[in-house]
Amino acid sequence: MSEEKKKLHRPITRSARQIMSEVEEEIAVHLEMREAELLGRGLNASEAREEALRQFGDMDGTREACYESDWRMERNVRRKEYLSQIWQDAVHGIRQLRRRPAFAAVAILTLAVGVGANTAVFSAADHVLLRPLPYRDPGRAVTLWETERSSGTRRDVASGNYLEWVERTTSFETLGLAEPWGYDLTGDGPPVAVQAWLVSAGFFESLGVEPMLGRIFLPEDHTADSRVVILSEGLWRRRYGADVSLVGRTIELDSEAATVVGVLPQGIKYPGDRDIWGPKTFAEWELTNRSSSYTFAMARLRPGVVVEEAQADLDRVAAALAEEYPRTNANTGVAIVPLEAQVLGNVRPALLVLLGAVALVLLIASANVATLLLARGLERERELGVRAALGAGQPRLVRQLVTESVVLAALGGGLGLMMAYLGVDALATLVPPELPRAENIAINGRVLLFAVLVSAFTALIFGLAPALRFSRPNLTLPLQGSSRAVTASRGRTRLYRALVISEIALALVLLIGAGLLVRSFQDLLDNDLGFVTEQRAVLQLFLWDQNPTPEQREQRVNEIEERFESTPGVDKVALTSALPFQPEKIDSDGSLTIEGKELPPGQDRRIYTTIVSGDYFEVMGIPLRAGRSFTTEDRMDSYPVAIINESGRRRYFPDEDPIGRRVTIGVMGAPLTREIVGVVGDVLPTTLESEPQPELFIPFSQSLSGHVSFVVRTDTDAAAMLPSLRAQIWQIDPDQSIYHAATVNDMISDTLVERRFHLVLLVSFSVIALLLAIIGIYGVMTFSTSRRTSEIGVRMAMGAKRTDVVTMILRDGIGLSVAGIALGIGGALLLTRFMVHMLYGVTPTDFTTFAAIALVMLIVSAAAAALPAYRAATADPLASLREE
Amino acid sequence: MSDPKSQLLRGTLHVLILKTLAGGPHHGYAVASRIAERSEGVLGIEDGALYQALHRMQERGWVESEWGHSDMGKRAKFYRLTEDGRRRLRVETASWMKYSDAVMKVLQPAKT
Repeated sequence: MSEEKKKLHRPITRSARQIMSEVEEEIAVHLEMREAELLGRGLNASEAREEALRQFGDMDGTREACYESDWRMERNVRRKEYLSQIWQDAVHGIRQLRRRPAFAAVAILTLAVGVGANTAVFSAADHVLLRPLPYRDPGRAVTLWETERSSGTRRDVASGNYLEWVERTTSFETLGLAEPWGYDLTGDGPPVAVQAWLVSAGFFESLGVEPMLGRIFLPEDHTADSRVVILSEGLWRRRYGADVSLVGRTIELDSEAATVVGVLPQGIKYPGDRDIWGPKTFAEWELTNRSSSYTFAMARLRPGVVVEEAQADLDRVAAALAEEYPRTNANTGVAIVPLEAQVLGNVRPALLVLLGAVALVLLIASANVATLLLARGLERERELGVRAALGAGQPRLVRQLVTESVVLAALGGGLGLMMAYLGVDALATLVPPELPRAENIAINGRVLLFAVLVSAFTALIFGLAPALRFSRPNLTLPLQGSSRAVTASRGRTRLYRALVISEIALALVLLIGAGLLVRSFQDLLDNDLGFVTEQRAVLQLFLWDQNPTPEQREQRVNEIEERFESTPGVDKVALTSALPFQPEKIDSDGSLTIEGKELPPGQDRRIYTTIVSGDYFEVMGIPLRAGRSFTTEDRMDSYPVAIINESGRRRYFPDEDPIGRRVTIGVMGAPLTREIVGVVGDVLPTTLESEPQPELFIPFSQSLSGHVSFVVRTDTDAAAMLPSLRAQIWQIDPDQSIYHAATVNDMISDTLVERRFHLVLLVSFSVIALLLAIIGIYGVMTFSTSRRTSEIGVRMAMGAKRTDVVTMILRDGIGLSVAGIALGIGGALLLTRFMVHMLYGVTPTDFTTFAAIALVMLIVSAAAAALPAYRAATADPLASLREE
Repeated sequence: MSDPKSQLLRGTLHVLILKTLAGGPHHGYAVASRIAERSEGVLGIEDGALYQALHRMQERGWVESEWGHSDMGKRAKFYRLTEDGRRRLRVETASWMKYSDAVMKVLQPAKT
């Protein structure tokens, strides 16, 4: 029965013509039988013919219907046959891969790395770089900066200058300004310090941002007694549970009610992502303040006005101001920077470098897969030859190899997808928060597809190479066992050598890039900060709200200082208005005058001012170079004093002793003359890359600021002291919010986030690249030695020593490596210049880095070639000859 | 095919063929003769319709076909029931019985 069934089953496919002729034949046979019957009943031939046709009925319709039925059936059979063949190939492919687990693992991993890394990083880049900012018509939004004419450096904007620009320029539809601010969110629970911006009328319009809920500020909101605020989406979600009805309700800020009038959407990265936006009103002195720069200005170009025209417009105004107010504005210019460039400016070059790195990794991965598949294909020639000789047609062989490649690509792609998901998560945690839109990076489908296609394409092309060889009908060649040439065929050898050389070259480029970043990082960390960071904690407070009068503030500060100093583990306490590396640092004043000395016109008169207590320099480890520090003798009613730093002394007193000289500066108000009593060492002001700036220190006792940071020198680890220090403050005043509490080390480390991010990424990429290249060299050397087994056997039979064999193979491997290194150095010389923004202290063509990396590469690739060389040399020469 | 008699028959043709093939493989002509014989010519099925039905049934997997040789030694295409066809026959026969029973029940009282 089952036998019979098999016979009836029809594995052989039929063509349309065959089907048609079978239908014809069947009908003809039928008619013949019917006629025979009718003849038997006594009809004559023509009557029988006619009757048979009559009984048959619709001849054409039947023919058609039968043919169509059969053809449909045939198609089904074929489809099933085809699917089952593919399935067979896939099963065969998986079996082949399992037979060579090392090959399979390496190929799959290589593909996965290519797909995974590429997708993750490209998703991030696409998200941050390529999508437009969430602003209306962002091309017209620009940021405005004051510049120091003599040096060209950019700085924030003084309110008086901004107001002049509003008055006198014609290029802008709107202008706006934002001032960094801080609020305490009070009411329920302990007070929370929240960073805020106060924005002038026109700011949101210039930015081009629409509120997510409610409205932006109206002109009448910008009055001294208005209590309205706009919240960030983040604060609205975190603290108020995304409650839509919050708009119109009041919250408590600094223990006073304020009405929420709107919520801004996510991703407002300029001037910075802060949680509360309040309306700015200008104090009397701010209207004419042209020297104290602490605000961020922006504007929206009129339609049709280009940046250059607006710049010319601003230059004209700046020149007029320089003429009218030479004391403050002689050296003040204006720079216009498109918002897009401002927000993405620092990020773009770095991300482009990362994208380049990813592309290199993908190339290396592809080259690796190609080498692996080529080597594997050569090994399999005999198997394929047998199959071809046994009658497998070329299409079938091609399909078999394609399916195997597809299985490989599918497994690699699948694993790569998982790696991409993990990678994107890792990136999202690693991305510095200053990057625009860092919060919701997700896998980008198009990118994933692209990476998968590239890898699959590579797998296909190189997987197919051996199959294409059998398009030539010379099937016998691979069957003649020993026809294997003593050395591998020239053309293909050259191809996979070229692949390995390019892999080494590409990996070297990446390694050099990473090496340059590492060197930059080291150089940065080696920078002398000018102060001590270990065992120092800092707590930043706003004393104003809780202590409105200077007397109250002085008392409160003394209280806290005493408390801290009596805390076990605390060595000494000092006070400052701003520490180095605190981003919202320091006021600067551009109107310094020196008694008895005429500064030349156009001379930069800017000097940073910091308010400190007498112990500050000692606690921070800043050396006193001359004169004295502040003492208890410096009081409100004694003569105002100041201490200048080395940079300030060099700029303003190049050949004289500054001690005893009197200088006049205006910080946040009326100018005051002070006598310089000391000189201290320089510190790096904002980041490890920054240069020391002229700085003037003023005693806290003579300027009872409300914005103070306590610096605490501890006996042991500063981080462990933070909780008890915080508790001390709340014991004194439970309503006192603490703006920031950290170790000085962490504060510095925070400024390195972005750099560390690039470093980690590029180093990981180059390590991956190095691993892939090692695999490539190892694979090719193993393969080419196995191809040369008989040659080696002959050599050894002729008396060659093992060391000779090792040397021969090693020389071969090192030759590849040297070629790759030479090519890689050339590539790196061309490419590292794009990293110049990411480097510090090293040039893009730093010789040490290039040499060191090249040496590492040489050693590593020699090691990768050594193993197969050793294996070949220890093989039994007779056995290797017999293998033929 | 506009003849109402054949229209009625069209649906029943499948079950007749299945029944005929249940006895063993036959070529198309033999199936036609057997049905004619059994029904004493009353059903008057056109040979063309029979072949169309055979091919459609083959497409549905109820019958299989193979070229072989007839008793007279002539080359002919033989049809045989598949397992599916046998199942189909049981189902169709049962529903036919039910149907004709019902029709009979309606017709009989009118007769008396």
